[in-house]
Amino acid sequence: MGLKKGKTEILVAGLVIGIIAALLVLFGNPVNMGFCIACFLRDTAGALGLHQAANVQYIRPEIIGLVLGSFLLATFRKEFSPKGGSAPLTRFVLGFFVMIGCLMFLGCPFRMILRLAGGDLNAVFGMVGFVCGILLGVFFLTKGYSLKRTYQLPALEGRLLPIIQVVLLVLLIAAPVFIHFTEAGGGPGALHAPIIISLAAGLIVGALAQKTRLCMVGGIRDVVLFREWKLLIGFVAIFVSALVCNLIFTAATDGTYFTLGFAGQPVAHTDGLWNALGMLLTGFGCVLLGGCPLRQLVLSGEGNTDSAITVIGLVAGAAFAHNFGLASSGEGPTANGKIAVVIGIVVVALIACFNTFRKDTAKA
Amino acid sequence: MTYIATFYSHFGAMHFKKQCEARKMTARIMPVPRDLSSSCGTCVRYEGEEPCPSDTWSDEVEQAVEVTAQGYRTVYRAENS
Repeated sequence: MGLKKGKTEILVAGLVIGIIAALLVLFGNPVNMGFCIACFLRDTAGALGLHQAANVQYIRPEIIGLVLGSFLLATFRKEFSPKGGSAPLTRFVLGFFVMIGCLMFLGCPFRMILRLAGGDLNAVFGMVGFVCGILLGVFFLTKGYSLKRTYQLPALEGRLLPIIQVVLLVLLIAAPVFIHFTEAGGGPGALHAPIIISLAAGLIVGALAQKTRLCMVGGIRDVVLFREWKLLIGFVAIFVSALVCNLIFTAATDGTYFTLGFAGQPVAHTDGLWNALGMLLTGFGCVLLGGCPLRQLVLSGEGNTDSAITVIGLVAGAAFAHNFGLASSGEGPTANGKIAVVIGIVVVALIACFNTFRKDTAKA
Repeated sequence: MTYIATFYSHFGAMHFKKQCEARKMTARIMPVPRDLSSSCGTCVRYEGEEPCPSDTWSDEVEQAVEVTAQGYRTVYRAENS
């Protein structure tokens, strides 16, 4: 029912999201970073003092908008459904290592598309790793992987993460001294669009993603599992519209929003192997979680506390990554980061095996 | 009659499809239709006289609906789901 309408909807949503992402860069976000769920959660963690990397500290309104946009539309459509209880601590750990993978690559799957649309060919290695990670996850899905069922919860449980986003918005606007903000010229954290524009962008994209179930992982997963291309259409549409906007902005303004090549790309490094392995870890973990970081934010807005726990895992991963030198920089990956990614792949594989092949459960 | 069942895991859907096929019911695995749910999991669309292809509903089944001209009519929903 409505398959063609659904494809048109996700095509239009993807095109709109790509344009919004490109516009956010025009309005002040770092280049190729109109949206990056990993980077923006990392910046927010820094603003709250959870890590001390002074160059990446800012409460990103896009994150607030994504959760609230999903929450508002889900409530309006009577789809808000507080639920949880499906292996929350396992999801926390998976979220933690998904972030480690993202910060090895320097971007979430959403930013991977935006990097490709900006001509950053390093993201091709990330894409290869990402697809391999998804295939690994799909293998376990078809062999019986499950984190078991969710349960209905009191409404307040589902509303807590959206409420926390409102608190973060108040902190961003009030800017009390205990919140850390990267100083002007001090790094990517200082580069941002005006609050109202970032918030509006987040709200629109959050609502569109809730309506269409847009998911960077789900698109490839559905093609492999069902030969169903619908979600992947959104993925491709974001790439196309962001690419076209970047080319137009480069031609029409003094800025450079598209540079084809490997070296000198904004907030990126050229180590192909570790770009690929970082995104392999991300893709693998996201399939086991049931969605990419963007999707986890959107599901949190719909009242899914398992996704909220995953988001908290992502934030914890970001804090660890910067406190212990695991995150890459433009100069490349760190030794600590490489060790963390290998550990992450092993841990995620163990979680996959344990929840696939071991069928006995604890007895009361 | 045409039914759609949704599940807590992809494997649950695969198992359910096998149950349907064992009873000679036409069944196929597909993504959950958006107008049925905002979740992006796996469902089984199947044809049969009875909505449940086994003696009892599996623990993996979240809900089952009958596809009607007016939309979906819920025939089963797991407790506390």
